This record gives sequence, structure tokens and C-alpha cells, in this order.
Amino acid sequence: MSPPVNMAGVGFRRLAKTLAKGKGPGLSALLSGCRAASGMSKDMIPGPYPKTPEERAAAAKKYNLRVEDYEPYPDNGEGFGDYPKLPDKSQHERDPWYNWDHPDLRRNWGEPIHWDFDMLTRNRVDMSPSPVSWSSMCKQLFGFIGFMLFMFYLGEKFPSYQPVAPKQYPYNDLYLERGGDPEKQPEEVKNYEI
Amino acid sequence: MAEYRETPLAERPKTLDPNEYFNVSLEKRGAEEARAAFRANLKRQYQMQLNNPHRKELIEDPALTNWVQARGNIYPHFRPTQRTSMFGLAFGVVPLFFFYYVFKTTRDWKEERIRSGTDTQKYRLTS
Repeated sequence: MSPPVNMAGVGFRRLAKTLAKGKGPGLSALLSGCRAASGMSKDMIPGPYPKTPEERAAAAKKYNLRVEDYEPYPDNGEGFGDYPKLPDKSQHERDPWYNWDHPDLRRNWGEPIHWDFDMLTRNRVDMSPSPVSWSSMCKQLFGFIGFMLFMFYLGEKFPSYQPVAPKQYPYNDLYLERGGDPEKQPEEVKNYEI
Repeated sequence: MAEYRETPLAERPKTLDPNEYFNVSLEKRGAEEARAAFRANLKRQYQMQLNNPHRKELIEDPALTNWVQARGNIYPHFRPTQRTSMFGLAFGVVPLFFFYYVFKTTRDWKEERIRSGTDTQKYRLTS
């Protein structure tokens, strides 16, 4: 009974020693600079914006693009790194009859993915060319809506309807029907003028 | 023969574009050939992995990994410039103050109306 407990104690200490890769004592020994092997390798994470032609060539190779086709996002601090800037075309526009590796996504295996790929899938934004130019469509739609809103506003401000008056009832404003006393003489209600 | 007619929502496919076959400079053809070579290579790699009878694991797509990592690791390459600071302010700081003032003012109006008794709507779906 006691030997297994001792064994467990010895094993734990040995385990702690092997985990402590750093040189110093205490917690800093455990938090040394090594990363677990389950993380990403350094070449898969996008690197910084490529400045020299060699960096550009290396980045183009990493993303499976021709060096002439490779165009990184402009380096304005927005965090793109060396990720390529692909043309903004949605998956709707791709040839439906070509033999894609992934037909639902209309994409081949290994093809560089657009930054906004999840926006450009066939369930979402469709950037196909429209029948009329975008500005013309915007003008037509907002022009119509604006015009209707303006006319409704005018209609509220200056209403125009048939002349109306309160409803006139016969029999002295329906004196008996409204529960008036039959013995008493109601006051005369004259609803006309001759 | 059939004449392909372009319609507003269907642009001319690449295989029917006369510029693909006539007036093609040598460098354009070289570029297209290089791109086709890339594509064919990738297709070959995929097919080899797909049809490998000894394969037990999923086929990993390096382009997908690159994309996922790029989208997740924006901060390491982030730099506070004028443009990014403007974005940060516009979407992070301004809405706080704006909505505070909007809500406070409208609710103060409503409170005044209720206290002075001029509020005509007894039951509201949106208060």
C-alpha cells in the first residue's frame, strides 16, 4: 500500500522536472518560450507586409500564386500582413459547369481564399454585374422612396377631404331611443336651415 | 453556328471570349499557361490524396489554414495609424456617448410627459 503511494510521489516530481524547461526556479521554469506542438507552424501564420522582392516571391509561393499575380493589401496598419488581395468577385460569378473540387463552394483545393470568402459564398452577398449601374439603381430607388415620403408629409400637413360635419339624428336627437322620459317634452333640435 | 448573346446578368464565359483566341500576346499566353500549371498541380495533389486507398485522415487544405490563421491573427500586424484610430473611435467610443445621449434625452422627455400628465398613450409596445 505505501510503496505505490511513494511511487506516485516520485513520478509526479519527475514529471514536474521534465515540464520545467526553463533554467530558473519556480513558475518561470514552467512558462518558458516553447509552444505545444499542436499549435500552428510559423509558416502558416501570415507574416508581415513583404517589402523586398525576395519576401514577395516567398509570400507568393506560400499562397500558391504567381509572383506577378501576387498583390498584398496596402500596408496601412489594418492587420492584413502579407495576405494576398484577390479580386472582389463573389462565388456566384464562377462557372457553374466547370469541374470544381468543391462544387458547392465553386472552389478548387489549394486555391487561395479571398479575405471575405465567407461573405462571398453562394448563400450570401452576390456581386454579379447588375443590369443597370449601381448609381442608377440607387438613384431610382431612393428617388422614388424620397418622393413618396415627401408627398405623404405634404398630405399630412395640408389634408384635403370631403367636407364633414357631426352626424345629425332625427326625432330630437333620438330623445326616446336614448332613454328620455316619454312624458316630458324634449327640447326642439333643429338640424336644418331653410 | 449559335451566336452567344450576352445578357445583363450573364457575362460572356472565358471559353467563348474571342480575345482568348485572337490578339493574344505571348506574355499573356505565358501567364495563362503558368496559372494553368499551378491549377493542374493543385488538382493533381488533391486527386492523389483523395484516391489514395491507404489514406485514413482528412485532406488538409493549406489555403484554408492560411485563411483561417490570417483572419485570426490580425492583431500582430496591427498598427495604430490615423485611419485605424479613426475606425476605433467611430465604432468603439462614439456609439457609447451617442446612444447614452439619445436614450437619456428621449426618456427624459417621456418622463416629463408622464409626470405632467400629457402622455396620451397608456399602453405601448415599444417604450
